[in-house]
Formats: sequence, structure tokens, C-alpha cells
Amino acid sequence: MKSNAVFFLGLFGALLISWACIVLGSNAQLGSQAPFYDDNQGTAFPQWMPGAAARGELVYRDLGCAACHTQRVRRPGLGYDQARGWGERQSVARDYLYQPWPQLGLSRAGPDLANLADRKPTAPDRDDLLHMLYAGSDDMPAYRFLFEERRVGRSAQRSDEAMQLTGALEPRRGREVVPTARARDLVAYLLSLKSDYDYPESVPYVAPGGEGAAEPPRNTGGAK
Amino acid sequence: MKPEVTPVDRSSRAPLVLLLLCGLSWLVAGGLLGLVASIQLHSPGFLGGCEFLTYGRMSALAETAFVYGWLANAGLALALWILGRLAGEPLRAQNWALFGALFWNLGVAAALVGVAAGDATGFALLGLPRYVHMILLFSYSAIAVAGLLAWSGRLRLVAYASQWYAAAALFLFPWILSVAHVMLFSAPVRGVVQSIAAGWYAQCAWTLWLAPLALSVAYYVVPRVTGRVLPSYEFASLGFWCLIFIGGLTGGRHLLGGPVPAWIPSVAVVSCALLLFHVSIVLLNLRGSFRGGGIALRFISFGLLSYAAGALADAATSFQAVAAHTEFTYFDEALRQLALYGAASTILFGGIYFAVPRITGRAWLSAGLVRAHLFLTLAGILVLFGSLAAAALAQGRGLADPAVPFADIFRHTRPWLVAATAAQAALLLGNIALALNFAGTAFGFVCAPEAAAFNPPSAMEAPPP
Repeated sequence: MKSNAVFFLGLFGALLISWACIVLGSNAQLGSQAPFYDDNQGTAFPQWMPGAAARGELVYRDLGCAACHTQRVRRPGLGYDQARGWGERQSVARDYLYQPWPQLGLSRAGPDLANLADRKPTAPDRDDLLHMLYAGSDDMPAYRFLFEERRVGRSAQRSDEAMQLTGALEPRRGREVVPTARARDLVAYLLSLKSDYDYPESVPYVAPGGEGAAEPPRNTGGAK
Repeated sequence: MKPEVTPVDRSSRAPLVLLLLCGLSWLVAGGLLGLVASIQLHSPGFLGGCEFLTYGRMSALAETAFVYGWLANAGLALALWILGRLAGEPLRAQNWALFGALFWNLGVAAALVGVAAGDATGFALLGLPRYVHMILLFSYSAIAVAGLLAWSGRLRLVAYASQWYAAAALFLFPWILSVAHVMLFSAPVRGVVQSIAAGWYAQCAWTLWLAPLALSVAYYVVPRVTGRVLPSYEFASLGFWCLIFIGGLTGGRHLLGGPVPAWIPSVAVVSCALLLFHVSIVLLNLRGSFRGGGIALRFISFGLLSYAAGALADAATSFQAVAAHTEFTYFDEALRQLALYGAASTILFGGIYFAVPRITGRAWLSAGLVRAHLFLTLAGILVLFGSLAAAALAQGRGLADPAVPFADIFRHTRPWLVAATAAQAALLLGNIALALNFAGTAFGFVCAPEAAAFNPPSAMEAPPP
């Protein structure tokens, strides 16, 4: 390696190739993807997150929830995702169109959350999620700092927001536990995580010769 | 015989000692953070009451301190030292390196405060909050100036392999970081393309920055200690360009089955397999290190074995049939530790044991601490990798059976995660031994033997166990 110019141009060229191929290539393919307009429903999917959910995504990110939870369901036939009821279809790029910071995650120390609010047969509701955040479990830490314990008068009525806690978690008499705004935002975000709309590209591909080989894969999209 | 401590070493002492000192401090700090994160994996309630100590932030803190604190500082110090020595003249632009080192470490400290306060980005290997990117970029470039001046002023027209790797790492990292900054923060791409760009950054940071820093050390130290010309050296440039051209394409392997175009993981599978070619050339060139001879070679040969094993495992787990079981399990973490700790850090340890007596002009203070460090590091890495892999096995089996609830998976993996914590503690102890030994040697708190008194290279080594 005698020439400095050739050496550094080579280094730069190598970096340029991998960047152009991987990042620019995928951006060219997905960067201009548009929401899918459904004529039957007269609306486009995915839908915008409500404001509280958008704030909750920031809480999800700053607490590093993605260290233990993924947000991507793999396609039927690859892994156990459908068997665990995490989603009937695979996650597709369009699902993340309106997420400013998609948190796909790398580890499943906890369950996948991509379709948390639309799990079958039962999806957790707001109270379940708040309780789980407050109490934690064997394999999940409690996030007490997202809640506030405060005094209420002895005869005063408790707040509507107060958590229904029993057993060891029950606060002392005259006190109540309420979720802070961040906890409410986080739960709103978790409840906005659902992939209940079937885009054309999310319909599982049926191999020719298999079941339904006579007709090509349905390609129209539609809500369940 | 030429003296082992040259005027080149003596004159460039200040920036190198500063970089090494900062690196070793971050190593100990990162080890503490990693220990806490590792305890939280099996006892989720541990220190969970404080917001800045939750697992999500703790793991990002540990990774940032380890990669940008320890690996970067130590790798830069050794790269500057090697480039300076092979240039045969005192390091030029030392003030640039000195101020760069100062601001780099201020930037890393600011990044840790930012992550603890909740500004982490959530991207693997890029947990740095966006506001520290600029200071890191400029301070790294300032340090690199000294190295690149040494490269261009080299004695021989034909550069050696260790110079290629060092110069590549110095030159490429600012580009990688600035591209990632633009595509993820200042003009972010949309949706999952972000995840693809972040994966590209993480893989480039490993293959084009950290791995070359480590390989530069290995390519310099091995022939110096063995005293032989590297075998099959004519293939070394092939191995180098293979890493540089293919390395950046392996970023998609973590996105297998994810919501990305299928060609991205496919390119990664092919590239991971092609990288094995690079690894085999490195092993071919550096096989002399396995014949033993001194503390430095013990660390480096272990690091090279980890490097090869890690590349093999990367290639294997990028295949869909294997990834169906290993994806999303602790095996990812095991491979990350094998690469960052088993390969990169261990080779840098070897480089430090070789370089510090020559930089400071004093032999190592305590041979006992050196041996303790060697034992604790090798045992720690083996136990850490083994226990995380075993945890991954239990976890993968549990996940695959939908009837097994997460609480049961947690119960099955817990003993292995406890073993991983023990390994982290052993590694931390070993690193404290290294840091103490370094501080004692470099600053002469205790009267260390002057290395100038004995010139043969073997006298620079702590006696092998």
C-alpha cells in the first residue's frame, strides 16, 4: 500500500458502498411509503397516534423499555409469535409510518408489544397495565416512580384516578396512589399499539400448490 | 541491539498516558454499571426505585461507558503509539491529541449524564444523546490528526498491516458517526429505515472502528514479541480490504424476520459468511501468537480466538433456521460480550501490557496483579459467555413453547443469569487490578524498576505464570 490517496479513497469508497447499499437502498424502497387508503372505510391506515400516546412513546424510549421488549411480530411459520398470541400477522414497515422513533428492540426478556392492545383472546386494559407498572412482577421491575402517593382527608372521597390496590400494596389509611402524567401517557401509548388492519403486503404469502393454490393471494387489504 | 524504549516513546508520553488513564477509569466505571445491570436481569427489583437506575437506562449506561469510554480511549492510545513508533519520529500535533482526549472524555461523561437523565436514543451501540455527537466528532478528529500525521510521515513508503488498521479506524469513525447523526437525528429517515440505519451504524462501529483498532494492536505486538516475520503476510492486505468492504454490509442480521425488506437480512447472511475469509487470514497471519511467550501474547491469542469464534457464531446465527431459536434471546448479548470483551478488550489488554512499560519507561509494578488480571479476565469471559449462552438456550426453549409463561422462562434462566453476574464481578475485580497496576506504574507512587536498566524486550513483560 504505497499511495495515500488510493488507500484513503478505498476506505471512503468502501464506506460509501455499504451506506448507499444498505441505508440509501432501503430508504429508496421504503422512504416514500404512503399510508394505505381504504375505500370501504373511507380512511387511511395506519392512523395517527393520539397526543397522549405520542408523549408516551417518549417515556417508553427514555426508560429504555426496548431493552427487554421487542415491537415486531415475525411472520407465521417463523418462530412462535402467532402461537403466543402476539399478533395474527407479521409487522410490516407501514405499521411504523407514524412512529417518530420505532423501537423494534433486540431482546425478548419480556413479551413482544407490537400488537399489545389487540391481543387475542384478551388484551390488557388500562387498569391492568397501570397495575403491572406499579406492582411489577417476578420478572419485571416495578416503576413506582411513575406514581405518586398522596394524602386524602379521612372522610374525603378518593380521586377517580386512584389505583385500586389490595394486600401489601395497599397504601396506609388516608393516603392514595395515583399515576403521574407520565404513567398515563405511557399506558396510552401501550394501548395504541395494535396492528389490527391487514395491509395488502401483510397478507401471508401462500406457496403455490398449497391450500388455496387455485387463486392468487388476496391482495386487497381490509379490516378484520 | 536497539533499546526498547525509544525517544519516540518518551516524547509522546503525555497524550498516551492521559488516554490510557481515562480508558481504564471508564473500564472500571463501566464494569460497575454493567454489574448493576447484570444483577437487575435476575433480580428486577434491585435499585429499581430510582428512575435513573432502571434496567433500560443502566444497560445503555454500561454499554456507553464501555465502548466510548474504555474501548475508544485505549484503542486510540495504542493506535497513536503504534503509528508514531512506525513513523520513527516523535508524535506530531500532540496538543491536538491532548485536547482531543480531554474533550472526548468530557463528551463521554456528558453522554452518561444524559442517558441517566433519560436522553438515551434507544439504538444499540448508539445510546449517546444527540447533543454530545458534535463534541465527540470533533474531539475524535482532533486525536486522529496526530495519528494521520504520523501515518503520512512514516519511515517506509510501504505501510504495515498494523498501520492500515489503525489509520482506517482513525479515518472512518468520524464519517460513520456523522452519517448516523444526519440520518437518525438532524434529518431523520422515516419509520423502520431508522432501525436499518441504526443497525448499519452499530455494525460499522464494530467492523470499521473497534475491530480494526484491536487488530492493529495484534498485528503490531505479535511479530514484535515473537521476533518473526508474519507468515503468509502477502495475504494480509486481502484480509484488510475484505473487512473494510464487507464489514458494513453485515448490519441487517438483527432484523431477520422483521418489518424490513427481505434483502437486508439476506445481504447480511452472505456478508457474515464472507467475513470468515477475513478472519481466517487474520488467524493465518497471527498464528505465531498461539505458541505462547509472555503476558501480552496470552491476552492477544485469547482475543484472536474470541474474534474467530464470534465471527463464526455471527455467521451461524444469521441463518434463518438457527436464528429462529436464537433471535431475541440472551445469545445476542453473549455474542456482543464475546466481541466487545472477549475479542476487542482482551487484545487491547495485551497491547497495554506490551506498550505501557515502553511508554512510561518503567516495568510493570506488580507481576501478581498482572497474573490476577489474566486469570480473572479469561475465566470471567468464558463463564460470562457460557452462562449467557446457557440462559439463551433455556430462554429459547421456553419461548418456543407457547404453553410456558414468561414467569417460568424467567425461573429457568435465573441461575444462569446469576452465574453471569458472578462473571461480571470477576471481570470487574480483574480490571481494578489492571487500573491499580497502571496507576502505580505510570505515576510511580511506589518506586517501580526503571525499564531503561534492562533492554531486552522480555524484561518489559511481567513474568508469565
